[in-house]
Amino acid sequence: MSLLRRLAVRWLETVGRNAPPACREWASAMLHELDFIESDWAALLWAVGSTAAVSRHCLRAWVRGRKEEATMKDAAMKVAGVLLGVLIAVAVMGAGAFGVHGVLFRFFPALEHHGAPWPVWIFALLLEALLVVGTVKLWQKRRPMAIGILLAAVVFGTHFVVHLATHWNG
Amino acid sequence: MKLRLSPQTLRVLEVFLDDPRAWRYGYDISRVTGLKSGSLYPILMRLADRKLLDTDWETNEAGKPPRHLYRLTPDGLALARERFSKPASIRQRRTALSGAEG
Repeated sequence: MSLLRRLAVRWLETVGRNAPPACREWASAMLHELDFIESDWAALLWAVGSTAAVSRHCLRAWVRGRKEEATMKDAAMKVAGVLLGVLIAVAVMGAGAFGVHGVLFRFFPALEHHGAPWPVWIFALLLEALLVVGTVKLWQKRRPMAIGILLAAVVFGTHFVVHLATHWNG
Repeated sequence: MKLRLSPQTLRVLEVFLDDPRAWRYGYDISRVTGLKSGSLYPILMRLADRKLLDTDWETNEAGKPPRHLYRLTPDGLALARERFSKPASIRQRRTALSGAEG
């Protein structure tokens, strides 16, 4: 085997060894064709062209993989943001509910005994307003979280309206 | 994703169309089309990625390294036949062939 052909073979063997698994089969395919190329110079040129082809293919596969990975990561971050927003809204509503019971009725027990619904309504409206303000504030910088809060606010608001409609005595 | 059918790709498809059932070697396609490995293999890779080309390894004969084989899939064959049936493609093919000869 001539020096040129040995160089071509070594070259493609090295490319095959160092190529990512997705490109290894192609590098191997190009290497095995070398034995059927008559001219040594043609074999060397074949190795050079093959290296370029494998490199381009690997680079493209790598870029595609990175894009898919980034898209998946982005989607996961968005879902996590929405869930966090819902959690924050639920926590705020929970804290508010306990706050009404613990603070409002403790200092104004007459309200609880009187059975008037309006303190609860006012509280519900305040809470709803708080969630809407939170959504607006977060909309630009943390949109998924804002969406989560808005979602919780819509559910809470709907519940409130349904409650009013079913418990309204005129 | 749509495959860009360059004159070089058409040349490769034409080789496969000569005998659609036959498996072909990379170097043989290179010789027939006049394409160097740096141009031929990206085309084969793209066709294989889009499931238009079947690849296989030749069963190993004693003392010979196994060679990679290529053949159009039914989808690839349909695409090639469709492209070569269009008048525009025939013009493109003629240009490609005259480019290969010249």
